[in-house]
Amino acid sequence: MTFSLTLSPSDLLLLLPEIILTCWLCVVLIVDFSFPRLPKEQLAYLSVAGLAGTLACLGWFDFSGITGTLFANMFVVDRMALFFKMFVVAATILVILASIEFVHRFTFFRGEYYFLVVMSALGMMFMASANDLLSVFITLEFSTFGFYVLVSYLREDVASNEAGLKFFILGVFAAGLLAYGISLVYGETGKLVFSDMKSAQATPGLIIGFLLIFGALGFKIGAVPFHSWIPDTYHGAPTPITAFLSIAPKGAAFAILLRMFFVALVAFKPTWVLMLVAASVLSMTYGNIVAIAQRNIKRLLAYSGIAQVGNVLIGLAAGTKMGNDAILFYLLTYLFANLGAFAIVIAVSQAIGSEEIDDYSGLGRRSPFLAFSMLIFLLSLAGVPPLAGFIGKLYIFVAAIKEGLYTLITVGLINIVISMYYYLIVVKKMYIVEPHDPSPLTVSAPMKAVVYVGLAGTLIVGVYPQPVIDWVVAATMMFSDLVGPAASLPPIPTTLPFGG
Amino acid sequence: MGEYALLSILFAPFVGAIALIFVSNRQPMLVRGIAAGSAFVSLLISFYVFYTYDHIKGGFQFVQKFEWSRQLGISLHLGVDGIGTPLVLASSILLFAGIFVSWHIKDRTKEFYIWLLILAAATIGVFMSLDLFFLYFFYEMSVIPMYLLLGMWGSHTKKYLEMTDPEGLKLRDSVGFIFNFASNSKEYAAMKLVLFLSAFAVVALMGILLIYKYSGLNTFDILQLREHAKLMNIPVLGTTLDKIIWFLIFFGFASIAPLWPLHSWSPVGHAAAPAATSMLHAGVLMKLGHFSIIRVAFEILPDTTRELMPIAAVLCMFSIIYGGFVAFYAKDTKYVIGYSSSSHMGYVFLGMAALDYISLSGAVIYMFAHAMATGMLFAMAGWVYDQTHSRDIPSLGGLSNRMPFIAGCFVVACMASIGMPGTVNFIAEVMIIVGSWNKYPIQVIVAVVGIVLTLAYLFKMMRGLFYGPMDQKYSHSHDAVAVVDRLPLLIMIAVSIGFGLFPMHLYNVVRSGVDPLVAKVTYVAPVAQTTGTRREARGEGDSTSARPPLPLTASRGPGDRP
Repeated sequence: MTFSLTLSPSDLLLLLPEIILTCWLCVVLIVDFSFPRLPKEQLAYLSVAGLAGTLACLGWFDFSGITGTLFANMFVVDRMALFFKMFVVAATILVILASIEFVHRFTFFRGEYYFLVVMSALGMMFMASANDLLSVFITLEFSTFGFYVLVSYLREDVASNEAGLKFFILGVFAAGLLAYGISLVYGETGKLVFSDMKSAQATPGLIIGFLLIFGALGFKIGAVPFHSWIPDTYHGAPTPITAFLSIAPKGAAFAILLRMFFVALVAFKPTWVLMLVAASVLSMTYGNIVAIAQRNIKRLLAYSGIAQVGNVLIGLAAGTKMGNDAILFYLLTYLFANLGAFAIVIAVSQAIGSEEIDDYSGLGRRSPFLAFSMLIFLLSLAGVPPLAGFIGKLYIFVAAIKEGLYTLITVGLINIVISMYYYLIVVKKMYIVEPHDPSPLTVSAPMKAVVYVGLAGTLIVGVYPQPVIDWVVAATMMFSDLVGPAASLPPIPTTLPFGG
Repeated sequence: MGEYALLSILFAPFVGAIALIFVSNRQPMLVRGIAAGSAFVSLLISFYVFYTYDHIKGGFQFVQKFEWSRQLGISLHLGVDGIGTPLVLASSILLFAGIFVSWHIKDRTKEFYIWLLILAAATIGVFMSLDLFFLYFFYEMSVIPMYLLLGMWGSHTKKYLEMTDPEGLKLRDSVGFIFNFASNSKEYAAMKLVLFLSAFAVVALMGILLIYKYSGLNTFDILQLREHAKLMNIPVLGTTLDKIIWFLIFFGFASIAPLWPLHSWSPVGHAAAPAATSMLHAGVLMKLGHFSIIRVAFEILPDTTRELMPIAAVLCMFSIIYGGFVAFYAKDTKYVIGYSSSSHMGYVFLGMAALDYISLSGAVIYMFAHAMATGMLFAMAGWVYDQTHSRDIPSLGGLSNRMPFIAGCFVVACMASIGMPGTVNFIAEVMIIVGSWNKYPIQVIVAVVGIVLTLAYLFKMMRGLFYGPMDQKYSHSHDAVAVVDRLPLLIMIAVSIGFGLFPMHLYNVVRSGVDPLVAKVTYVAPVAQTTGTRREARGEGDSTSARPPLPLTASRGPGDRP
């Protein structure tokens, strides 16, 4: 295999968003070092400006339909990659806005915080474009690298250190699995690019290799049985980083999973559908049941995140274009609701210094705005109409029922009810229980902006989802040659099939 | 106006709720004014729709369709037939009355009205949805406001307050909370209600998804599904698919109705809820169940309905008798009315199960009538509670001296609830009994016993509350004197008696919706014919029906009996 490194200007154009962000990253770092007296909020706004420029550039690409591949198919820019890049950049902007107040808790390296966040975002943008196993490995490690530092950023806090260590050890372990899996796959097929593997034979080595790769990606998205780092890491990490970790890497990892399953492994669909069904059922059930017992809001959201990933995996298990549309749609609704919920957690923790669910007592009286927003976000996560989360869940269920995944849908529906219980416990604390201390809470302006974005996304997408649906349908056009949803009358089953 | 009538009924409360967000709680009159204004708009247009509904033409009228999602096959398809029209009217009457009933709420007035308006709008949305997706959408949307209304403005029962101790508090917050059956707290009631209804709602959703898949039409539109969905005779798990779907739909929606083994959330919820919420809850929310069964199971699976509806006929007996006896022995005013409601909902199931023109019309009219009667009872139980802070019947008594107006209205409400001639309940009950006699004589006898039971427990409660000696601590309680306090009761009494004396328009409207439905459900295809001709032969509801429309005079069709 030879790599051609002669790049024409038009090739560089494909890299334009990443180039913009890299240059801006350097600017942020230089400004931080050159003006030590500059208030760090300015750095945050500087980073947001760069990210907004990148987002605009991505939007232009998406609008004008600029696509292509680079570096012998290692790096691909298609509409799905653009979708996930926009997803990651939007999440990063919201996280930075939500961090501005929180950064005062750090004793050192406040400026580098923004640098590291944006660097992780850059890594995830590359992940969205990764089209072969090598670039998967490099981009995955590149993005995780920033997180290793960020998770343990509260140096004096034991929990944060523990979280960082746990994340690091398990993350490196997952990287080892990934590298081993890649070597096995390469040894069996001699290919690295996903699209070249379509005709590969299902040898044991290949299957084990892909299982290992799935394990590493499962670690990223936090699906059971690769979830064990999630609760402690989410709990100990600085809350904005928890928010970041709970959404952006999942999006980027799902981009890779989609490419891997639907480009490289499309021939083995019956096999991996069973695997995904198992992972999905376990994630949903485990996440929701354990979430009931949580006393800390971050841990509750961590477990709810595991359950949400289980829901997304239903869409992946459907194995159709519609399932992929539903995944993109669901992740978008999850972005708004989850980041919104975490923004409230940050705001409350800034105001009262606690993340225990008990201390949310009477939030409805102390800050009606925060309580109402939290209510909307939690109900969207639970999947209650007319919020975006409901449409997301329904979209996934519709995609899955067209493929006859009755077991998954039944488990998913039961889990909606289970999840409603623990979300409503928080609602009960906020609205029904009287506050211990009725003093009103104040919310900073950037935090309000994040919450408003979350609210707008959750409500507008919930009430009128058609533009977003059109967008995600266009984003997954590359999968349109998959077996479509059953055209006219479905085959008549004699028994309810398990899985596919 | 005609075109956008349903949209305005649906969105007036939503717009009111959104407007309320921007009003401060420090202007309570403005808050109440906005709430009452938006409810009044809804009420006026509901009356307009009700009286301009063309019962000779029948079918779905005021239809509007907006595409909502192409890929999923969803459109906001609104329309009312003779079954939906009276229920929309009942919802807006109860919403309007409920706003006045809760006029004196001091704590977080604005939030209360926001959730009340959303609850009512969602209920109204179900009654006019012609799309399975939106039916479920509004159905599920009506559940969450109940949680907040019960939890924030509800009340505990006496037993609960005695149980309150530090240990008990800890227990109520634990994981074991959901299994804490002895608790009578409002939190428990709210959580039980939401989880119970959501659990059964997803059962119904499974049924809806199965219809969506096996129809293969890629649409949730009820009108298209009932014409083209071929769901019969698909073998699944040793039975047929249509039966499975029917069970999912029926029991999913029957939980909110509430049919007997699935009723346990309902009295607890009624008891904990504030008065206006109980009114909406018992008055219209429970009818969502019957309505959804009629709209989904009767319309899309008529043959299966004919085959399996006897299940409802069996269960409704237990509903009637069980609810009646518990109401007789209950000591809490709201429990009495709550169990009485769940008992009375058994009549509706009986009327539905008989699949007869008269009995089904009776069931629909009964839903309307019961909304008024039970709305009055709950409004007055709420008034008594506000004045005395007690719902314990043995400790109350003699209140008729202090509140003669309420006592007078209570007598009327009891009469309406029993089905006294002159109230619309009488017409409904007679139609149900007459219509189901031929098919289910035992059930009819049970229903008559139920009426006697109703008489017993309502009179017992009336005596307990208003007559006999009065405890001195209640001597400062007041009657409803102000216009805003009397208005809701007077509205409901006027509607109940008005339609009781002049039922013809209501009857005609309901008949125009029921006739094609019953014709379709009871039509048994001759064995030799194929499916295609059978569908043509069967009355399909709309004015495009192949079957000649029934003459809308006093004597009609084979199902008619004196």
